[in-house]
Amino acid sequence: MSVRVIRVQKVLITEIPNEPKFILNYIRKETWSPYVAGILLGLVGIAAVWISNSLLGASGAFENLAGMVGKWIAPKAFDNMYFNFIMPPGITIGVILLVGVFFGGMIGAATSGTLKWGKKDAANSDNQWKRIFGASTAKRWALAFIGAIILEYAAGIAGGCTSGLAISGGMLLAPAAFLFIAGMFASGIVTALVIYRKNY
Amino acid sequence: MTNFLTALVLGGFFGFSLNKAGLTKYNKIVNVFRLTDMAVLQFMMTALVVAMSGLFALRGLGLITFPAVPATYIVGNVIGGLIFGVGMALTGF
Repeated sequence: MSVRVIRVQKVLITEIPNEPKFILNYIRKETWSPYVAGILLGLVGIAAVWISNSLLGASGAFENLAGMVGKWIAPKAFDNMYFNFIMPPGITIGVILLVGVFFGGMIGAATSGTLKWGKKDAANSDNQWKRIFGASTAKRWALAFIGAIILEYAAGIAGGCTSGLAISGGMLLAPAAFLFIAGMFASGIVTALVIYRKNY
Repeated sequence: MTNFLTALVLGGFFGFSLNKAGLTKYNKIVNVFRLTDMAVLQFMMTALVVAMSGLFALRGLGLITFPAVPATYIVGNVIGGLIFGVGMALTGF
């Protein structure tokens, strides 16, 4: 009887999370609950508006950079409405934000021990991709390149990407964001159906 | 300069949360379109709700003013979204 009591106490002690350690262990987890990560992103979105009166976004930065390179290489071709007024070229806050995103993602991977710096599998590491399309890295990169062109072009038409329009616009209740999300899911589901076919 | 520094830090947290939610993985992005893993939606909608309520509360208190809201032009937004979905399902980014 007395042995049993001691055992119960031991279980209790290990199960009560020791606060700082609990948080540290959670940071080391590879995948968080999407709700927890979502709350973090929501707070970042609030902070962006509060501190610097700007919105989070990713796709615009590429256009700023492309505009800068383009004006340098072919100034005539880039001397149009779009690159002069809508997406002015240069090192904007969006570009710096994107640099931060890169390092933030890297820190995230490093804390969960999944950072594959120069390892053999790093260029094409997704098991699901390999199962459907094979292990070829060239194929992965080619599709990523083509898809990214489509993404960036579409973001130019819509006026933003998932982060710049859907999330940042959505949190200001912009109708554009919800139209964009609806379109994105409609065609995304159809595309996934087409490329996965019987594996869907 | 401080502006750039805040952008760097904000971007850092942005990337960190994306990584931890698993949105940097091909399978997470594609599986939301295959309707087998809803993590992307859960993540996006949680962020939306948190930021939305926070921002509107702060504006109600008079602490912030909103930056320019993304413009609505229905055809452009929908067509852009439709093309975007194709690219997203192809690349998984």
